Parts: sequence; structure tokens; C-alpha cells
Amino acid sequence: MKTDRLTNLFLTIFAGLTITASAQARLNVVATLPDFASLAREIGGDNVDVTALAKPTEDPHFVDARPSFVVKLRNADVLIDGGAELEVGWLPPLLQNARNPKIEIGQPGRVQASQGIRLMEVPAQLTRAAGDVHAMGNPHFMVDPIVAKAVAAHIASAFSTLDPTHASQYQTNEKEFENTINARLQEWGEKLLPYRGQSLVAYHDSWPYFAHRFGFNISLFLEPKPGIPPSPSHLAEVIAQMKAQKIKAILVEPYHNRKIAQKVAEATGAKVVDFCQFPGGLPNTPTYVKLIDALVNNLAVALK
Amino acid sequence: MKKIFWVALLWSGSAAAFAAQPSPSPAPNEMEALRQQVQSLTQTVQALQEQVKTQQEALAKISASPIPSPAAELATTSPSPSPSAAPQFPTEDESVVATTAQPTPIAGAIARPQTAAVNQSFPTTDTSLVTPTETISTTGAGPSLTAPITIAGGGRTYMNISFDGQFALAYSSDRNLDQLEVGDHDPQQRGFNARNLELALDGAVDPYFQGFANIVFKLDNDNATEVEVEEAFMQTTDLPWGLQLKGGQFFADFGRINPTHPHTWDFVDDPLVHGLFLGPDGLRGVGAQISWTVPTSWYSQLIFGVQNGRGGTGFSFRNPGEDGTFYGRLTTDREIRGLQDFVYIPRWENSFDLSPTQTVLVGVSGAFGSNETGANTRTQIYGADLLYKWKSSHAEGGFPFVKWQTEAMYRRFEAGRGVDQSFPVAETFHDWGMYSQVVWGFQKGWTAGLRGDYLHMQDSAFTDDFLRQSRSRISGDLTWYPTEFSKIRLQYNHDFLGADDFFAEREADSLFLQFEFILGAHGAHKF
Repeated sequence: MKTDRLTNLFLTIFAGLTITASAQARLNVVATLPDFASLAREIGGDNVDVTALAKPTEDPHFVDARPSFVVKLRNADVLIDGGAELEVGWLPPLLQNARNPKIEIGQPGRVQASQGIRLMEVPAQLTRAAGDVHAMGNPHFMVDPIVAKAVAAHIASAFSTLDPTHASQYQTNEKEFENTINARLQEWGEKLLPYRGQSLVAYHDSWPYFAHRFGFNISLFLEPKPGIPPSPSHLAEVIAQMKAQKIKAILVEPYHNRKIAQKVAEATGAKVVDFCQFPGGLPNTPTYVKLIDALVNNLAVALK
Repeated sequence: MKKIFWVALLWSGSAAAFAAQPSPSPAPNEMEALRQQVQSLTQTVQALQEQVKTQQEALAKISASPIPSPAAELATTSPSPSPSAAPQFPTEDESVVATTAQPTPIAGAIARPQTAAVNQSFPTTDTSLVTPTETISTTGAGPSLTAPITIAGGGRTYMNISFDGQFALAYSSDRNLDQLEVGDHDPQQRGFNARNLELALDGAVDPYFQGFANIVFKLDNDNATEVEVEEAFMQTTDLPWGLQLKGGQFFADFGRINPTHPHTWDFVDDPLVHGLFLGPDGLRGVGAQISWTVPTSWYSQLIFGVQNGRGGTGFSFRNPGEDGTFYGRLTTDREIRGLQDFVYIPRWENSFDLSPTQTVLVGVSGAFGSNETGANTRTQIYGADLLYKWKSSHAEGGFPFVKWQTEAMYRRFEAGRGVDQSFPVAETFHDWGMYSQVVWGFQKGWTAGLRGDYLHMQDSAFTDDFLRQSRSRISGDLTWYPTEFSKIRLQYNHDFLGADDFFAEREADSLFLQFEFILGAHGAHKF
């Protein structure tokens, strides 16, 4: 019995060491968020191992810097992060502890997804009186498929640099992803076309890029300011505005308080629409494309 | 326009010439002079006309080229830019000033004729959001540690700077709140307290080091300001094999409470065992530390620190004590004699994920060094700590969660006969204590906590020191975090005090209302 446990312990240690060793064979990719992980899987295929740190259902602003993440980052060949301060509350101490020079900023193993993306809603003036505002602009950019294509290209070029033997495969996969997005954009665009120009309400300001892509106007939020919980007086104002503008949908993410959204919906006759920024956060959305599919469908059904 | 202008000029010129004629019958030499004058005028006008012509040609060329470079335009229009050239000079420059249309293209999307959009394919590119891929580079182009990215509106600097103001309104049934509370940053008197006003700085020094500094200002009970350099250290960022070196003034990595700053604590005050074993300021000092993340499949880290351990921040070690006495003994206050006088602080911590929502962290720590109560007296402190945390898979703002934290310590303290050998006996104290606390984040921004403290100090036949009293405490608190940058906390303490001469009663009730604000960019916290 005792020897069994001892063997198990040794096996675990051995497994730990071999994981480090086998990292050279397949690229070990860590993504801070599940959306980057999904893209990495599309591009990397069988040549990469991909791990996402945050869960698709949790608030990406506040993820615990669990020590197990340190181990994942220590063994990483590639780290994909947003680079727009969404993970600023938890990634820096993890990186400090991981001590992995391969994924330092400026190294080929570090992909910062926001590079080359013009962030929207860059605050003209920085003040926390405005709530949880990101200095570099709104970091929820991945829900725009056109932006996702750019991030995919970025990931493909990083993979190609680090693993030149499979470079052509990464480029092919990236092209394929691009073609898929281009084709699906036609369908998505068509599906949402009848509702173009409509106003929507969101719980948190996570959707300016989605609104920009599909021609919606989302400027009313259940949160009075980003990150500040809804107050009764603010909700009363939102309800009045929704009635005046005849707004038909409230976008709610998995970690938001759905009850509050439901109450507002009952008071206005609008529908609560399940939205999520991350693949896996909604039922049957294992990949990025499936996620956007679900967003478009859910919204189209609610607005019908 | 211009032609009219020149004609008018010519006319007024000739009119002036005629007006200059004094009489109807001018002398022949005067006629000659006039003729010459008119001739020269004509020449001037011709020259001017020529100039205008070349200018017009230049303007035509400029307006034909799509993007006039400001430099070229300046060259062609100088030295005398004609009025009509003004609109050609660019009034907008996207490379410097972002156009207002950029972040709000929704209006544009709506303006697009909806019927046209049916036939027209949905756009698959968008240069307003995505710059051409050629400009994206995976190497070098990104911000480096030494050159932080500067983006319009982004307040990025070389250094994070923050200020943390922590205050408490306190009431206690016992007057000696400064003896009842064991931490230096805990409330020290009835009424208002400002015991932790902290300036925190951190940033990348260069590609090899990171720097941190915490300067703490305190107001004592007479409202006089005290300053303490709590921490100021550098640490490596670039060592291979998972190694990291740290040097400077820093908190020893002993247990859970010691290496952290009061504003991260879940209660207003310091646990008894920490304040009375490692000291009211915590175990910290000037020294160096090496740590190694062991290459295992779980998180495992070995840490080894060395510090001078001298003074009040080396409480159980080379601490001369107040007025030169510690535990009743007259102390020496000597220089380091050899390696035995440093404090050595090893730690080993391990962490496991029990499930995607549950994490456990266990650690063992030690602190070994000499103390000042005798010639060769030594102190050993051993600690074990356990942290369990559950956080919902649908957490918003980090809530809801449950966190259970426990620390136990054992101290062996060799108390000598004092520097003058005046104390009757040398004794060895075997002291131990622990605390255990549960914090429940029951909804976004709200936590409730419960803590139990127990401390056993070995009885001495010869000393009666309030720092050596066995005692225990139970605490409960409720905290509201309006955001992660502010908090308001109400805490109740019930102290069970031993039979001694230091407190008026055997039990004490205290109530604290703590309020805190944080300004600026405050570094993220470890798990």
C-alpha cells in the first residue's frame, strides 16, 4: 500500500519532468483566455498543445492567479494574451513567478493579440470615477470576426517562426480559417441584416466590436459604469430608456447576475439574450466559429 | 479673381502716372522721363504676370497629385503662398490626431443603404480596426520591458505608482488598545487611527531586474508622522532553470501573513501568533533570497532567504527590545560576529488544483538565528500554513468564493541571563500558536469573515511580560468593496486575556470600522 503511493509519487514527478522534455516535440501553447486558445487550435492543429487559463464562464477581469498556472506558463513555448490590460489583474504576478524567458514580451513566443488592432473607446481622460475603464481602450475585441482573422494571422506567424518545419501547415490552416470567416460573415451579416441599426442593451460594455461589425447600437448598460453593480435608480432609468427606444434585447454573459436582467426584461417586454465572449461559455460552442454562430442565432431569434 | 486684381493694379498705376502730370503741355525731357516710367511699369507688370502664371501651374500640379506632402507644398508655394492655396494644405493628420469618425463607425453602418447591402457582399476586412498584417511583427515590434508602450490615452509609464490610505475608527472596552493589538499597523488607540499610509512603486528596472518599494507613513497616537521603509528590493527576471534572486529590504517569505501588506489582509488586525512571534512589523530586513520553482507537474517552490535580523523587525532574533530589555533580560546590541548571527528563512510551498474551482496551497517555513538575550542564545521558529479556496466557475468580479486559511507556528526561544548575567536563570521557551480564518465572498463586493486565534506562551517563573501572555481571540467581520480600489470593513474582536497585571479585565471587546482607498496603478496580488 505504502510502496504503491510512493511509486505513484515518483511517477507523477517523472510525468512532470517528461512534460517539460516533450515540449520540444509539440509546441506548448498557453492562452490567457479561451478565445485565443480556440484560434490557436485552429492554426496549430495536431502540432500544438493548447491550454487556456481562464474559464469561459468566468469574469476575465478577475481570474485567480492560481499557482498551477505558474507551472503551465513555466512550460509554455508560446503565450497568447490580449495585451490590452484585460488580464492586468492576474497575469503579471503569474509571469513573475513563471520565470520563462521564452514568453517575455518581445520574444517570438509571446503573442499579444491586440497588436495591430485599433482599440475602440480609448478614454480621452483617465479617471477611475468613470468605473473600470481600460487605459488602452476596450479590450473585448475578439468578438469581431474580422479582428479574429488578424489575431489568427498573428498566431500563425508566431507558430511558423517557432516551428519552421510545420510553417506551411500553419499558413494553410490560417488561410482556411480566413476563408471560413469570410464565408460565414456573409451568412451572419445576412441573418442580422433585418435588424441593422437597432439599439440593444448589454449588462457590461463588452460588445462595441460586435455592434460595430453587425451594425447595432449598444450604448445602454445595466451597469451604471463599467464594473459597478447595477443600482435600482440606474435600472429605473434604463427601463425608461428601453421603453422609449423600444429596445428588444438585453445581452447577458454567463457570469452576470441574470436575475437583474430578467427583472428589467419583464418590466420592458425585452428578451434576455445569452451572450458570451468565449468559446465554451454557451452550450455547443467548442470553437470560435460556433460561438459567433450562437451569438448571431441567439440575437436573431430574440429580435424576431 | 487674380486677373481683376492685376488689372486694377495696372489701372491705378497708370492713373497715378497720369495724375503725376503737372500741366497739359509738358516739356520734352519730362515726356521722355514719363515714357521711361511707363515702360518700366509695363515691364514690372509683365514680370508679375509671369510669376502668377508659374504659380498657377505649380498649384495645378499639386492638386493633381493625390497626397501632397507638406514639405513639397511648402517648397512650391513659398515664399509667397497665394490665398487660394490655403485649402490645399492638410487640415487633418491621422498620424497625429485620430479622426473622430474612427471609434464610432456605427453611424456609418446605419447610413449604408440597406437595399444595397443585400446584393453587396458583407465586408470581410476593416481597416478602421485592423491594420494591414504586414505591419504586425511577432518579434521586436512589441513593447519591450524597457520601453513601455505608449498609446494615446494609455497612461503607461516606466513605473507603477500607487498610494494606499488605510484608516480605522476604533473602540475597545480596554484602554490599552496598543497592547491589546499586536501589529504595528493595527489600530493603536480609541478613536481614529491612520497606521498605514503606503506609497508603493514598482516597475521593470531593465531587461534583467524588477524593482519594488513600499514606503509607509504612520501617524502615532499623538498624530506625529513616522516613516518606515517597509520594502525596497530588486529581483531578477531573466535567470534560467526557474531561479530567481532577490536583494534589498523585504518581508521574509514565512507563511501567508508575513510576506503580505496589511491592505491585502482579510481582517483589520494582525493574528496574535504572527505579531508576537515574528513581530509587530513582521519579519523583514535587509538581505537576499533565492527561489527555485521545482520542475514538477504541480506547483512546488523552494525559497531560501537570509537577512540581518537585527532590530525590531527581527523581533525574535537580534532585537535589542524596548529600553534595552527583551523578555525581562538586558540585551546586547552587537554587530554580526559570524554566519550564526544572520536569520535564515527557508520555505517550501506546494499547490494543487483539487478541481477546476478548488485550489489548495500548503507550505512549511522556518526562521533560524540568534537572539540578544545572551552570548550564544538562539531562536528557531517553525511554521506550517494551509490555504483552501473555492471560486465559482461563473465568478463575476471574483465573487462568490470561500477561502479558508490556517497558520500554525512553534517557537523555541533560548532566553539567556542577559548581557550583564543579572537574570537569575537561563530558560528555553517553547511557545506555539495558530489562527484559522474563513472568508466567504457571498456576493459581488461583499465578504464575511470569521477568525479564531490561539497563543500558548510557556510560563516563566521569573518574567511577567505582556508580550509573553497566553491568550486567544475570536473575530468576525463584514467587508464591502465598492470596487477593488476601496473598502469599508466592520470588525468585532473578543479577546480572552490571561490572568495578568497588564489589562484591566480578563476579557475585552473591540469594534473597528476600517476604511481604505487606493490611488494609481497598484501591482496585482499573488494567490
